[in-house]
Amino acid sequence: MPKSVRGTAPLLPKGFKTLEPLVADWVLPDSRARLEKRLTTPPAVIRAFYDAMLDKAPKALSYLAERQLGELNEAEERLLKLLLSLAEMGPAVEWYGTGEYPDGFDARRFKLIEQMPDNAAQGARP
Amino acid sequence: MNAKEKISSSTFAAQYPELGTGPVGTDVYCDPAFYERELAAIFRRTWLCVGRVEQAPKSGDFFQKALPTFGYSVIVARAKDQKLRAFYNVCQHRGNHVELRQSGHCVGFTCPFHGWTYGLDGKLVGVPDASGFFDLDKSKLGLRQLALDVWEGFVFINMDPSPSQTLEEAMGEQGRDLVGYPFDSGTAVFEYEGTINCNWKSMIDSFCETYHVPVLHRHSVKDTLAGPDNPYGRLIDCRIKGPHRTQSVWGNMAYTPNPVQGLAWQNAPGPAVTSGVVDAAVKLPKGLNETRAKHWSLDVTVFFPNWIIVMGSGMYFTHQMWPLAANKVVWQMRGFLRPATNAAQRFGQENSMVELRDAVLEDCNTLERIQTAQDEGLITEMIYHDHEIALRHQYHVVKQWVEGFEKNQKKKGKGAR
Repeated sequence: MPKSVRGTAPLLPKGFKTLEPLVADWVLPDSRARLEKRLTTPPAVIRAFYDAMLDKAPKALSYLAERQLGELNEAEERLLKLLLSLAEMGPAVEWYGTGEYPDGFDARRFKLIEQMPDNAAQGARP
Repeated sequence: MNAKEKISSSTFAAQYPELGTGPVGTDVYCDPAFYERELAAIFRRTWLCVGRVEQAPKSGDFFQKALPTFGYSVIVARAKDQKLRAFYNVCQHRGNHVELRQSGHCVGFTCPFHGWTYGLDGKLVGVPDASGFFDLDKSKLGLRQLALDVWEGFVFINMDPSPSQTLEEAMGEQGRDLVGYPFDSGTAVFEYEGTINCNWKSMIDSFCETYHVPVLHRHSVKDTLAGPDNPYGRLIDCRIKGPHRTQSVWGNMAYTPNPVQGLAWQNAPGPAVTSGVVDAAVKLPKGLNETRAKHWSLDVTVFFPNWIIVMGSGMYFTHQMWPLAANKVVWQMRGFLRPATNAAQRFGQENSMVELRDAVLEDCNTLERIQTAQDEGLITEMIYHDHEIALRHQYHVVKQWVEGFEKNQKKKGKGAR
């Protein structure tokens, strides 16, 4: 969730207005939250998000390819986080057709004990 | 390119006749007594990977690694002399942990129980109210050190105070054949951990045969690691080098990615392991895709006893198994991706992580079911396919290692009498 929307500050960069309705539900704090979202969202809702995002994803990726992690403004970071949710939901739709796993081992039994930050510069590690 | 002709029709059994072709007993997978023998013969005396040098680059840096099999953790620290040392995280006063942080930078370690302090070189430097102790010899009360050595930037420890092999000897031919792989370029790191109710060797087995790929992974990687030219997921090659082994896994070059997957592959800092794309800028070491097959996707390299590196040209990841019992293991998967050179590549990284996790999730139910069947004696022998040679090899190596160690111990015992 965006912290605040001051005045007319856009939720997303110019050109991505059609994705704004997705921000409230699909901009999530980190990789752990994205898996939890996948496991708790009905397949039809995941599919609707997937379809809406896929349409704009090439343009959004081209936009972010011109920018650096750690230097994104809030609107750009939200756009990145929408894409990261798409990265998590991609296999749900393309591999399984559902958020659950067929013959599923409980995904929560895998703990993500170290995750990549969503928006931090990735040089060599300090 | 005709991929079909590259799939070997000669058998691994003919290449490695010493491994035989008959059924293999399940006892080593479920017998608690054998598990205890494995701990003594293998885990307490082989080199175990605990991290990478980048985790403690400067003097004063340290990191901890828990060893679930033994319940304790080791500290790896770089002292002023720039040397890396490994210590049991155990205060020599009464056994409390001297460091609670998982990693950090410090001038030394202070036990949070009574305040004994140790230098980064492990020496005991401070004891509060020392005059109240009796015959205290600080020079003999440093942190207990473990043997430590480094291979290609990976830090290994050995609990045996005088290891029977150096790390270099232990890594052997397979280690030498991988020298030069850009392990240090995988600086974007993630790690999963899970406790699975199966034997540690079964979990290794699950990454070492691709016979199951077209069936078990029918929803995910069936069409990338198998395909019309290789419908049963046969290996390109399996190379046994001492106690270690490498499988070269076939890749379907004709595969068309799914929409999100395709975008992820286009926006990644290096080729995904299952993309079938080889980064021509990376000079593969001799031991990676050793037959230089054109339809190669990745190599699964197992270093005895518990460490696997899965390598493509643009990323790699490791699996490590820490047994807790004959039928329980802590599995850790650490991904090493190239750093993103722009913000869009974070998307490719995330998708690589998710696909890897999902594919491994597909393996785990089978592992727990197999274990139940073995524990209950419902299956007592495994019937191995020629392309399950790695499983057969692991069985033989583990048996030989345990029996060889025990024979030596007996000999030593007799010699001492």
